Amino acid sequence: MLSRVADSLYWMSRYIERAEHTARVMAVKLESMIEQTPQDAAASWSRVIEALTGELTLDATQDAFLTTRKLAFDRENGAALITSLSMARDNARQVREALSNEVWENLNRLYLRLAPVTMDSIWVHTPARLFREALEDMHALEGVTYSTLSHGEGWYFLELGKHIERAQLLGRLLDVHFRGPRDGSQNMPKYFDWLVLLKFCTAFEPYTKLYTASIRPQKIAEFLLFDPEFPHSVRFSVDRVTDALARVAPGAPPARRAAVERLAGRLKASVDFGQIDDLMSGGIAGFLADITRQCEKIHETLYASYITYGAETVL
Amino acid sequence: MPGGRHTSRMQHEAFANTEDFGGADVAVTPHRPSRPGQDAPYLNYALGKAYDEMFEADGTPRAPYAALDSRVSTLPLEELNRRQQACEQSFLHQGITFTVYSDNQATERIIPTDLLPRIVTAAEWNRIERGLTQRILALNLFLRDIYSDGRVLKDGVVPRAMIYGSKYYRREMRGLPVPHGAYVNICGSDLIRNEKGEFVVLEDNLRVPSGVSYMLANRDVARRAFPGVFRSMNVRPIEQYPLELLATLRSLAPFHDDVSIAILTPGVFNSAYFEHAFLARQMGVELVEGRDLLVNDNVVYTRTTSGLKRIDVIYRRIDDDFIDPLIFREDSALGVPGLFNAYRAGNVMIANALGTGVADDKAVYAYVPRLIRYYLSEEPLMDNVETFLCREEKSLQHVLGNLDKLVVKAVGESGGYGMLIGPHASQAEREEFGRKIKSDPDNYIAQPTIQLSTAPTFVGNGVEARHVDLRPFILHGSETKIVPGALTRVALKRGSLVVNSSQGGGSKDTWVLGQ
Repeated sequence: MLSRVADSLYWMSRYIERAEHTARVMAVKLESMIEQTPQDAAASWSRVIEALTGELTLDATQDAFLTTRKLAFDRENGAALITSLSMARDNARQVREALSNEVWENLNRLYLRLAPVTMDSIWVHTPARLFREALEDMHALEGVTYSTLSHGEGWYFLELGKHIERAQLLGRLLDVHFRGPRDGSQNMPKYFDWLVLLKFCTAFEPYTKLYTASIRPQKIAEFLLFDPEFPHSVRFSVDRVTDALARVAPGAPPARRAAVERLAGRLKASVDFGQIDDLMSGGIAGFLADITRQCEKIHETLYASYITYGAETVL
Repeated sequence: MPGGRHTSRMQHEAFANTEDFGGADVAVTPHRPSRPGQDAPYLNYALGKAYDEMFEADGTPRAPYAALDSRVSTLPLEELNRRQQACEQSFLHQGITFTVYSDNQATERIIPTDLLPRIVTAAEWNRIERGLTQRILALNLFLRDIYSDGRVLKDGVVPRAMIYGSKYYRREMRGLPVPHGAYVNICGSDLIRNEKGEFVVLEDNLRVPSGVSYMLANRDVARRAFPGVFRSMNVRPIEQYPLELLATLRSLAPFHDDVSIAILTPGVFNSAYFEHAFLARQMGVELVEGRDLLVNDNVVYTRTTSGLKRIDVIYRRIDDDFIDPLIFREDSALGVPGLFNAYRAGNVMIANALGTGVADDKAVYAYVPRLIRYYLSEEPLMDNVETFLCREEKSLQHVLGNLDKLVVKAVGESGGYGMLIGPHASQAEREEFGRKIKSDPDNYIAQPTIQLSTAPTFVGNGVEARHVDLRPFILHGSETKIVPGALTRVALKRGSLVVNSSQGGGSKDTWVLGQ
């Protein structure tokens, strides 16, 4: 597979994952805010903004309309839903020949449907509905990606992009909930916020099946970090990354393959043998930061090994 | 937005709702032939001086259009509109668009497509096919000649200065053999139909002709818009084009079985990018940009995740000038340094060969009938548009005496520059231009103003006549193949003769009928 094609597939997939994550967080947030006091809702918006954009904001300044606009439709915002979709589409267009018609047309239609949407047009009725519909479309896109593309090297680059992104997004979401507010206020997450966190990750029902409906932060962290079977847990994504790395660049020199696989193995060991009790006694922020760092390192080494390597090294 | 969403869903499915699935309704419904200007939807259909594809001069529909007429004239206008929208929606979703920049806003527009097919009969196609085959043979022999012995120049058939002075003549190609002597492997000739109804060649596009993906995309939507009519008419298939193209490219590299082929594209910002990606997918070959390729020891490689992979044949969609910055334009970021030397060394084949542009400039065009006689000892089967070469004294006098009737073009220019449209120019402009011609007659050719034929085109509130041309695609490797189809380009503005998509042109499907 051409290195440039692998690069575009990887990023297309990362951006789609980011768009889906943003859409789900927005849908859940807009649906749940009506049940919160204005103060709690504002504190929750503040966490959402930090998780999605990395920006620190003051709770008190959060307005649902402006925040939704910024996170969903503001093209100046590199993390906005529409920006992610546009980037995913740009990457897809560059590798049109490596995608099926179904994948391209689903993604293209989704973008064309969202591109002209304005806040005023969605805010009058049920704003969450737009994001729910976008999610349905993204699930359809995921479905045709699974069922119409060969599960060969290109597909595994999509898997790598999706799961490296997902592990990092999950890490950030967990971090803003467990670390506590940085602005000095006392707005620690409440019972309802933990419920919402599970819903941000489509995890509410899978969680209750395992732990019953008793909502405990420690169990939530354990589930979202270490569950081997739930698709939105960090461990699940790390497993997919490890699997995918074994399937890409089959003809690459062994030394180069080893460089990436070693890093993935290390990350896998961290989540396979991680103990929630150890983390809860104060180390969760450090653990999450370490996971993020390791994901970044895998990304860099992946690129150095298979995509940006110097041609003179193989001649 | 919720409303918008459902609208687009419905449009996506629009083809399925009211399709006329069988041919039966078309075949058995008795139908009085429509008259242009009298019957809906042809109320504003004007027959002019030009040959009309659908109606005889007296207004009766030509036989091949009867089935289409009986369908179109019985459908309500809203239904035609709905089908037209379904065509456009399909193009939009497939990404068959180009980008228009205005006010710092980039908007994507589809290349306009018209749902009414243009019909070419078996007899007409037969003539076109034979004429184009003859022409591509002669042009390839000509290219081989001017890049080797130059017999045609020594014999004085074509002036030496015209060839060696051409900016498209590539000295670097001198003495370099190409497989099967095939310089032009992919050609897209522009034909027009004159007032008498004869197809004549307006232009040979021998460099990097595009449009074949639109031929195939148009077929896809037109067939869905009129399935019953399509079925009843024995339309010849064109879907094999990518296969034929692949076979043509393969035939250029007989050196081993496992030939690796790539399409070289300038990239996603090129207006024909959709086509490059489309052909790569349809043929199952790699789509590469210049930055994906590198040359080592005169061998061309692509950079893959597993390492470097050798490339044997490149179907390039980049102009000569940009293909190798070491040999041609050094400021080109699209090309591949060292590619030309690999080509010279015979380690990679490039289609089309470099330097083919010398044979499709406006002056050489005028010589093509003579080239056919010279190389093949045959009479041309298809005519040129009558062309006067001002370098020839008799023609020069004719041109100067008839400036009010002719279109005069500077040979080295394109895109409407250096051009006089006699009937539309003022007396002063004509005199001014006459002086220019006299001072440098070699640089000018003249042609009568050409009336392109008109074809029925859906315009929203009915069907009207619009001018069209015809671009068939010729493949030439170890053998010559022409897929029975073409891109019909339409000048969508009433009365306009400009079919280019950059200037308000669109396209439509072309149905070549079987015997």
